[in-house]
Amino acid sequence: MHVSRSFRLLAAGLLSVSLIGLSACGAGSRTGAETATKVACDFVNPAEPTTINVLAYNSSAVDPYSNTMVSSCTHDNVTVKHDPIDFGGQVQKTTATLAGDTGSYDVIETYSFVVPDLASREKLVPLDDLFAKYKDAYQLDDIDESLRKAMSYDGKLYGLPMQTQVLTMVYRKDLFEKNGLQPPTTFDELREASKKLQDSGDMKYPLALPWLASGDISTAYKAALNSLGKDFVDATTKTPNFTSEESVQAFEELKSLLPFMDPQVTTFDQPKVQQQLYNGSAAIGIMFSGRMNDLVQQKNTKLYDKFAFAAPPAVEDGGKQYGALSVDGWSIPFNTKIDHDLLFQLLAASVSEDASKASIPAAYPARKGLDQTASPYAAAAKAAIDGAPPAEAQPWVPPITAANTEIIAQVITGKQSVEDGTKAMQAAAETVLSEQ
Amino acid sequence: MKRREFWLLVTPSVIVMFGFMLVPLYRTLRWSFQKVDYGSPGAEVGLTNYIGALTDPRLGRAVLFTVGLTVVVTAFCLVFGYILATLINQLGRMRPIVLGILLISYVLPHVVGAVAFSWLFDSNFGGIVNFLANQLTGGAFGEPLWFTDPWPNRVIVAANVVWFMLPFAMLMILAGLQGVSAETLEAAEIDGASSLQRHLHVIIPSIRGVLGFVLLIFTMDVIRIFDSLIPLSPQAVGLGNESIMLYIYNVAFREGAVNLGLGSAISVLTIVLILILLYPSIRGIVKEARA
Repeated sequence: MHVSRSFRLLAAGLLSVSLIGLSACGAGSRTGAETATKVACDFVNPAEPTTINVLAYNSSAVDPYSNTMVSSCTHDNVTVKHDPIDFGGQVQKTTATLAGDTGSYDVIETYSFVVPDLASREKLVPLDDLFAKYKDAYQLDDIDESLRKAMSYDGKLYGLPMQTQVLTMVYRKDLFEKNGLQPPTTFDELREASKKLQDSGDMKYPLALPWLASGDISTAYKAALNSLGKDFVDATTKTPNFTSEESVQAFEELKSLLPFMDPQVTTFDQPKVQQQLYNGSAAIGIMFSGRMNDLVQQKNTKLYDKFAFAAPPAVEDGGKQYGALSVDGWSIPFNTKIDHDLLFQLLAASVSEDASKASIPAAYPARKGLDQTASPYAAAAKAAIDGAPPAEAQPWVPPITAANTEIIAQVITGKQSVEDGTKAMQAAAETVLSEQ
Repeated sequence: MKRREFWLLVTPSVIVMFGFMLVPLYRTLRWSFQKVDYGSPGAEVGLTNYIGALTDPRLGRAVLFTVGLTVVVTAFCLVFGYILATLINQLGRMRPIVLGILLISYVLPHVVGAVAFSWLFDSNFGGIVNFLANQLTGGAFGEPLWFTDPWPNRVIVAANVVWFMLPFAMLMILAGLQGVSAETLEAAEIDGASSLQRHLHVIIPSIRGVLGFVLLIFTMDVIRIFDSLIPLSPQAVGLGNESIMLYIYNVAFREGAVNLGLGSAISVLTIVLILILLYPSIRGIVKEARA
């Protein structure tokens, strides 16, 4: 009897803990909007109660915009709902919501990598007319034209840019000073700096790059290839460039960095690279700019005041930077039943000047002319944007990336020769192109 | 019970089973013979998806890894689940507390548990396993590449599955042990049977049904391993540590490579594989029920 009472007590305890845990999860799901910046969101109140569902992944750079939309545009008959989700979840839900004639979301976060593919399949609403209608009310002309172009396809705008992410270099200024180093501007210099840091005994693996075999490694290869002046595919002849000299060189240059990186680098995504820098086990990192502000937060690392930022190096002297520019923005899915005019005003409000100012320094806003002195990495991000290779805005880029990611990982890890790997990539890309 | 009452009570279950089991199964079968783009009606392609799946060496590797993992983990959990259950069965007042603590890993979401588990081996997050092992061996343990070497990676994946599945085996076997006749055990003891003989010739035969049930559940559960591999084996494809479910996910849902038809064909093949693996267990349970 005594045992069964104990058992009941234990069961009640476990149940209580579970319920508290579950309720805590629920309570935390939409808290960001409560403290977000409020901006004017003056739409014509719809006659009926209207719920607008927003799909946007959570990150320190995107959250300010999502939260501003929820907090500022939920009034009168409109309720804006945004549930937390990670990037992988957003990718899957985007595919699902755009699949049929009815979808679950009315506003979706998109980025320049996927816009050409989605737009070419008519999954997104062109925004040009709405942009023209509201450009004065929301000063939309202040949104960088090149970034608007990155969110366009075939001359039409499909995403309203909110912020941009660009590969940016971070380095430990204390160790650079100690070893008499300057931020590297080429891969040769990057190797030299890494070698010097390694030889100084300060750290075993001074270089940290996100080369996750199932994802980021394709960004690394693309950045190297683009830096050498080649795209995945020659847009004129529609011929893949994977067996080109530049492709072989891109692999060789990337592989030449391996001695300076953790042997398990092909399992490192961006958070793990951040962790290496937080821990002081790496001195140089190249990641998207949205990750940079985290590095200077005292709550994250005791090394918060030791980091400096610069544009990433070029693969070879005189070439473009080892760069990648990604623009995040808002799009309207083709299958939403909500009035497009109303939705666009929500998008415009969330990227308004006040909202964009409030996103600094977590984000690098798409608006020009904002004071970014509070952002420790803004100057480096600006230099990186200016020196980044032009984006290959083509619908074949995502499927070719998916088809080739594993092969790239095999080549980098030495399981496949560069020659065999590039041939396999060429064949995979030709198959993708034949199906387009 | 009247016929009308019977149907009134049974109908909701039938509807739920039809909606959540038969309809998806039917759709999976249909898609396995089609080329499917999300949101569009599929185009019939006959056996193309099956031929594609069966000629892809990745499927063979995924099956080998998954079945190997299932066999190793199931054997380990049956043996150690039995030992653990026997020890816990001898506890008095502490039993519910020990049981509660042991069940924590079973009730944790797998992906959460796997992330925390990966940190034990990841030097970026402390890597306590390497640290302790090197303390004990004077540094001879070194720094195994837990995430990029195939076998060390298999070890941590298997260890993680054991970590969250062992409590289930232990709990089921404990329930079985409590049903073993005390008189029979006493008789065996009086007849001079040693402790080992009592386990081998009295207790284990008495709980054969429970062990068969554990085997059945393990076969079904471990063969569907998916979420644990995301944090524990980020390079699973290259290492040959891709499970069948991860392979299906990569084929059917990954960005830029959605191939629901091929994914469905692999799913159907997986169902066939599970049925083959389960056949001995199901036959044993049916025999037991008839006896």
